[in-house]
Amino acid sequence: MMVSKGIENTDFVMPKDAYDIGKDMPTFNAYLTIIVRDSEGKIVKVHRQRSHSPTFNFISLFLPLQYFINCNCGVSVENTGGSTNGFIPCASSGCGNISYPNTATNAPTYLVMIQVGSGSQSNPYSAYKLASPIANGSGSGQLVYGTPSVSPSIYVSGNSAYFTISQTFNNSSGGTVTITEVGIITQVQITYSNSTNTVNFGQLLVWYDVLSSSISVPNGGSVTIYYTFTVNP
Amino acid sequence: MVTPDLASEEDIAKLIIPDDLPNDEPSFKAYVEAKVYDKEGHLIQHHRQPMRSLTQYFLALMSIPLIGTYQGASTNSATGILTNVLGLPSAITGNSNSANIVWNWSIQLGSGTQNFSPSLTSLAAPILNGTGAGELSYGTLSVSRAGAMIFVSVTVYNLTSSAITVTEIGLQGTVIIQYSSGNKSTYNFLLSYDTFSTAVSVPASGMAVFQITLSFTG
Repeated sequence: MMVSKGIENTDFVMPKDAYDIGKDMPTFNAYLTIIVRDSEGKIVKVHRQRSHSPTFNFISLFLPLQYFINCNCGVSVENTGGSTNGFIPCASSGCGNISYPNTATNAPTYLVMIQVGSGSQSNPYSAYKLASPIANGSGSGQLVYGTPSVSPSIYVSGNSAYFTISQTFNNSSGGTVTITEVGIITQVQITYSNSTNTVNFGQLLVWYDVLSSSISVPNGGSVTIYYTFTVNP
Repeated sequence: MVTPDLASEEDIAKLIIPDDLPNDEPSFKAYVEAKVYDKEGHLIQHHRQPMRSLTQYFLALMSIPLIGTYQGASTNSATGILTNVLGLPSAITGNSNSANIVWNWSIQLGSGTQNFSPSLTSLAAPILNGTGAGELSYGTLSVSRAGAMIFVSVTVYNLTSSAITVTEIGLQGTVIIQYSSGNKSTYNFLLSYDTFSTAVSVPASGMAVFQITLSFTG
């Protein structure tokens, strides 16, 4: 079990009378681990940093019912195309909520990809798309996107628990491709339990990070990006 | 930096060593707070401490807005995290309409203590909602947000003739799967568990506000 060395540096958000029990690592953390391989498959770089930024979309979708009851309001999420949709979940059959697998109908809400880009933006929380997405392909400046993978379960070790999301990208562009931003894109559909109607919110950026240092992927090489979400690390 | 090849997610996890990142601001902070008032409404105790212990069920719940509920675009089955950790069905069957998922939270107080585990399912000694001896009357939960901060609070009233001591607090989650015009399946989980570093005593005829703050500081 790790204890943060940085706890003395907690900023003004830390209450002055917060009680130190000697285990002050934040109870939740997210990390980015990026592994770059050359054209022969050898690891040439491992990059690690904290992942900082759930987006407005994520927080809006994560809120519990009581939030919407208290404010008597909805939230508006924005997809990567810039279109917005209102979201007002509730617990009655006429309400639109996040779709759940159902053998008779299929309106999937699913992880689309980890997307990489070559830009940056200063306010990750309000981001709804990457600043400069790197296209999927083998043209100049492009990367071939692999299929995203998610842990089949949550791994528990002592008091810690975690799961990962990962994806590999191959560089067949003929030149080095540089990554400076990373995000998680999820397709969200809303369904109604009293009908087969659906509302497709489209692809939403739910998590976004600007890398602390850029990542260069050599021609013929690959990069694998791991997002790790953990409690009590 | 060059390392040996990596074979598994466990290898990747071992690469993540928080002590390696001392200058990198944590991405999340959470606090538990209690304000206690006497019968005349005077604030008599104000206690705050870092939240220490989210459970694996919190991770599983946050996986829904993060990775969705389906395994993929063409796989009409729930993610392994939802089925394996939360015990939700792989798919709703026999339902001609659509199915969907929604969740709510609540705050549970208790008078016991126990060792933390990511698999904890309940408080050691929950304080019941009521006016009998040792019980507190729970008010309506309040949830608000400010940017990437979420505030969850509940006011409790001690309508008994004796002080009631609160030593533990948990954020509970209720997941509801709705299908077939009104049918529901409900699942309950403990999302966090903390013991107070100093017990919180709610006097007879007094009240207290307990708040959990989740801050994704970005």
